[in-house]
Amino acid sequence: MHAVDGIDFEVDRGEIVGIVGESGSGKTMTALSLLRLIPEPGKITSGRILYGDKDVAQMTDDEIREFRGNDVAMIFQDPMTSLNPVLRVGFQVEEAMAAHRRFTSQQARDRVVPLLQRVRIPAAKDRVRDFPHQFSGGMRQRAMIAMGVSNEPSLLIADEPTTALDVTVQASIIELLRDLSRELRAAVILITHNMALVASLCNRVIVMYAGRIVEEGPTRAIFKNPQHPYTWSLLRSMPRADEVEKERLISIKGMPPDLARMPPGCKFHPRCRFRIDRCLTEEPPLAEVGPGQIARCWVLMKNVENPEAEALK
Amino acid sequence: MAQAAPVAQPDVDLTYEVPEQVTLLSDAWRRLRRNRLALLGGAIILLLLIVAAISIVWTPYPTWLEAVGPTYQPPGAKHLLGLDAAGRDILSRIMGGALITVQVGIGSAIILSLIGIPLGLIAGFYRGRVDVVISFFINIWYGIPDLLVALILVFVLSDALHLIPRGVFVIVVAFALTRWMDMARLVRGQTLALREREFVEAARMSGARDFAMLFRHIFPNALGPIIVQATFAIPAAVLFEAFLSFLGLGLPPPTPSWGAMAADGYHGMDFAPHIVLAPTLALSLTLMAFNWLGDGLRDAFDPRMRR
Repeated sequence: MHAVDGIDFEVDRGEIVGIVGESGSGKTMTALSLLRLIPEPGKITSGRILYGDKDVAQMTDDEIREFRGNDVAMIFQDPMTSLNPVLRVGFQVEEAMAAHRRFTSQQARDRVVPLLQRVRIPAAKDRVRDFPHQFSGGMRQRAMIAMGVSNEPSLLIADEPTTALDVTVQASIIELLRDLSRELRAAVILITHNMALVASLCNRVIVMYAGRIVEEGPTRAIFKNPQHPYTWSLLRSMPRADEVEKERLISIKGMPPDLARMPPGCKFHPRCRFRIDRCLTEEPPLAEVGPGQIARCWVLMKNVENPEAEALK
Repeated sequence: MAQAAPVAQPDVDLTYEVPEQVTLLSDAWRRLRRNRLALLGGAIILLLLIVAAISIVWTPYPTWLEAVGPTYQPPGAKHLLGLDAAGRDILSRIMGGALITVQVGIGSAIILSLIGIPLGLIAGFYRGRVDVVISFFINIWYGIPDLLVALILVFVLSDALHLIPRGVFVIVVAFALTRWMDMARLVRGQTLALREREFVEAARMSGARDFAMLFRHIFPNALGPIIVQATFAIPAAVLFEAFLSFLGLGLPPPTPSWGAMAADGYHGMDFAPHIVLAPTLALSLTLMAFNWLGDGLRDAFDPRMRR
């Protein structure tokens, strides 16, 4: 079984790339394989993961350990459980630096408070000695981010960083991520199913379905001219604040396919409202559909006349 | 188009009420304080420790060989607990016995933890073949009659180490070697559960070494159950020593071991019961105290009891 298959993408320094898709579409697996941390018994069977000119898939255990946290940092969905409950927050930030040799232990100690201030934890000086349960959800996520950026990584992977947070603090966390990526000139991979988040933060979007990239392109193009029916349906399935009315929401019927029983042809065809006969037997390749935009579809939305009416039939 | 998220002003200048510092231990202590039986147990243990400490520098009379008065003398003003079959002062010997009890109990808990905790951590953390091997040994060890093996170990060890007469050290090692499995099994289970927790995963993702994950993240989070387990190991070790000494297989005769003292007085039980009563009462109180404290600690460390 292949949870993700044929994923091919690049992220440049300073760029924020969003990976979107439903649960089980392979977003998190893609991110975990970048760090070679796929849960057992899974493994990377083939392919390359290039960081600069180093192949992560070929690294030795020591190299990969040095790579994690130093070159790449990951921020998790649930800040409530990602911090060790029995260690003080400041100590945990210090630990993140101690695992690598970028800073001496004295430097690491001196950096803790500025780091916490940098992620805008109020009264950072007093709160370094707090335990995680004395922090609110938003503050814990800030502390996690502080740990993530403590070694000044050049790639930051944020796996649904705001999903577990109150709506009121989500915006400030997003703002923080954007600022940090600018300051550090780090690349950011943002994994989410929140299209609004992608629209506000990302330069480029990758849409995944059933372990495959189905569409990729600049954020503006993806939102304005989605070419894959799945992307189109995703965008039509969420309410939008800026379009007062007129559009009805369109749901996507059915469930994403079971990994063990993948449909033949295009993996999306059982749920697709625009399928043609060819979709049932032949899987389309990723083809260029616009400047910098690629999609995996035989039909393409630009060839469908009046898709709303078609979809609501 | 979805709207850009509004920018929140960083609330750096706001002041917050900083909640009271609550650590695992202070939290447990808060709950332990409310448990009277556990406190009583703790008080008795404290008394035991004090008596043991005093006995190092001072006892009313010599504790080992010298007869200080007539044999079988009942308790009186001069000898508060009377004299035994050899005319030795029982109070002094009880005090000396307290020191031995403390050495045996705490020594056993420490050695047993030194064996059980690393094995459990390694088995739970690395799983797979390592776990299979360690679990295999744990199960084999459970199948062996521990008392018999401990007895044999006492003799083999004292011979091999030329520790004749047998000392506390041999008893402690023999006990720990036959009773480390409970600790190993407990720690293994805790580790298996903790290694899946997100903060361990997060540490792994930030490139932490295995050693750091084990001792910074997993071990401190398993500390509560470990302390409880070690507390329960102490009375077991004390009882084991008393039992061996009672049978004459533990610490050799002139040593003021409570078990040996009970054995000494056993023959005169009809006419001089005070000789048996003193060490057995001391032993029972000690065992009860540790069990009460252990129960109290178990409740205090249980997160479901948190109020």
